[in-house]
Amino acid sequence: MANIVEVPSNKAKKEKEKVTTKYPRHTLKILKGNFAAAEGAKICKVGFIPAYPITPQTTIVEQLSSIVGQGKLDATYINMDSEHSVFAAAMGAAMAGERVFTATSGQGLFYSHEVLHAIAHFRLPIVICNVGRPSIPWNIWSDQTDSISQRDTGWIQYYGESSQEVLDDIIQGYVIAEKLDIPVMVVLDAFYQSHTSENVWVPDDDLVAEFLPAKTKTGNEIDPKNPRSFGGLVPTEQYESFNYQYWRDINQVEDLTDQIGKEFGEKFGRKYSAIEAINIGPKTEMILVTLSSITTTARGVIKNHPEVGLIKLRLFKPFPKKSVLNALKDVSEQAVIVNVDRNFLGDKEGAVMHEMKRALYGKSYKMYNVYTGLGGKDVPPSTIEKIIKKTNEDPEEVMWIDFE
Amino acid sequence: MEPENRFLIAEENVFSGALSCRGCGWALLVRHLSSILGEDTIYVLPASCLSIISGPYPLNEIRGSIVHTLFAAAPATATGIRVALDRDGKKDITVAVLAGDGGTFDIGLQSMSGAATRNENILYICNNNGAYMNTGIQTSTATPYGAITTTSPLSHYKDMWPKDLMGIIAAHNVPYAATASLAFLNDMRTKIEKAKDIKGFRLLMVDGPCPPGHKTEPEASVSVARLAVESKVFPLFEVENQKYTVNYFPEIDVKARECLKLQGRFKHLFRNDSEDVLEQIQAFTDKNWQRLNELANNVGNA
Repeated sequence: MANIVEVPSNKAKKEKEKVTTKYPRHTLKILKGNFAAAEGAKICKVGFIPAYPITPQTTIVEQLSSIVGQGKLDATYINMDSEHSVFAAAMGAAMAGERVFTATSGQGLFYSHEVLHAIAHFRLPIVICNVGRPSIPWNIWSDQTDSISQRDTGWIQYYGESSQEVLDDIIQGYVIAEKLDIPVMVVLDAFYQSHTSENVWVPDDDLVAEFLPAKTKTGNEIDPKNPRSFGGLVPTEQYESFNYQYWRDINQVEDLTDQIGKEFGEKFGRKYSAIEAINIGPKTEMILVTLSSITTTARGVIKNHPEVGLIKLRLFKPFPKKSVLNALKDVSEQAVIVNVDRNFLGDKEGAVMHEMKRALYGKSYKMYNVYTGLGGKDVPPSTIEKIIKKTNEDPEEVMWIDFE
Repeated sequence: MEPENRFLIAEENVFSGALSCRGCGWALLVRHLSSILGEDTIYVLPASCLSIISGPYPLNEIRGSIVHTLFAAAPATATGIRVALDRDGKKDITVAVLAGDGGTFDIGLQSMSGAATRNENILYICNNNGAYMNTGIQTSTATPYGAITTTSPLSHYKDMWPKDLMGIIAAHNVPYAATASLAFLNDMRTKIEKAKDIKGFRLLMVDGPCPPGHKTEPEASVSVARLAVESKVFPLFEVENQKYTVNYFPEIDVKARECLKLQGRFKHLFRNDSEDVLEQIQAFTDKNWQRLNELANNVGNA
């Protein structure tokens, strides 16, 4: 397994001590994002993995097939006939109480659309990874159009900035999903993350088990000893009550994300929250709003721009409005907000702009929108510099930065 | 001398008040099926008449667990349920898909083919009434040649032969596939019992009477089903790992038209100018019967 490299044993002892004690009860590995995702599923002790290949997610299910085949994970692995069947099988197993994982991308996620709705509203705590790519014109590279176009299916969505975060999101994802009976989609960027190696601290199984115990039955599962009907036609008088219960629970996600992220930090040494506010304070004049790996690039660039802050949206759905407002509490409403969208929904504005406008309704921040990085186009520091410069000097409400 | 108990159903596992039409095949089929499979069975239902018949929320017509799932996804959903039950040590629990012909021949075919290829331990029951009856009698690929449906109207009645689903499923080399008729209850019950005890993917194709869809009188349901078998329009046979066995050889020669003429959906064929269509249907029926017997005699003995 060339992708998993243990810390070399011939390093200076002192150096090794320093490295291996950064996070006790972890192993440092060099993993591509997809392999970090597979490790995440493995340490969460998932019991069922229905699988179907699609670029760029394929190596996740390949690696899991290898892990299960080698007996390193006691799971049932089935090669299904399509993503539609993958998600339907996931649904069936979760209805009977199994902890389920799978991964998909782009067309696979689009094809599963009706099942995504069913899983969310059957209230099944499934966690998946989606490695984002767009649709037509054909393209397999980094783009968030696929997952964002599924934002209204009822799934919680987290966007991981790093492979470490993807792995950590899977663990936290199961805790949150199983607490609320709402499924979680962990999204990572194609190739920039999925096929790029990073240092990833993989927690020991027993450490994960302390945070995420084996799945216990809630009493709502299919049970031959207690026959019931699941999913029958719901008459008009009762239908809303299901939506109402879901609505009450989905409203807890933002706070729960912060709470579980804090508890995760105490246990594993890496703390998470719904959003991350970077370099934001009373003197902030401009705020970039980003998802996933573009955030990392922007972190570097704003070091040269003390007046520019950054909001990283880790939780995207349900949209963390409270956290965004909190991040802006000391920021003058003269500041401008630049929403960076790596998705195209066929609208004038991208999804981040839509969501931020909804969140900041009633506030007078000037809001700008930038489309960039679509279809995997690289977003290097120079593009972020261009966004800041253009916004300062000659802004338009919606900008296609590379066409200016 | 005590009168002999002639009731086939010893244990009634269907509650009264089901929402089926009078003369519906599902109603009789599910009574027999559930009496054999028992209360601990998990039934998986894609969109179909049965999904409605078996009860809107929070009702359940059958003593047993019912999972109403997506139209295209019953075998995949059943696969997942099977996995979870097996991992939970419940390997003996029957997981049964109850689907219509639309959910089997058309939108669910890929999912079923996947499950059959994997030889999932699932009992698949198709109530084949030859059209999308739940949505109001639209053409499916199981609709017989010559029939009228709401999407194959009189001016353009169904002019395609139905798909040979049994041939398709046999080609998957599944351990058991059989046809069954509500007019031959002992044969049907024997097949359900046999299928119940086999591990792997099993399929029963049941000829499904449908008075509103076939334009028949409710009391004629069993008669039409019997004529379908007697006329060889719907032969009774089994396929075990590609080995065919014909279960019933009609003693008298009944023409296909005898079965068709009881059904209003074929009424237009009994006008003088449609004799050639009836002859084509007879030729197709004869050819299928001959082919079936060739398969039964040759395959497996080679």
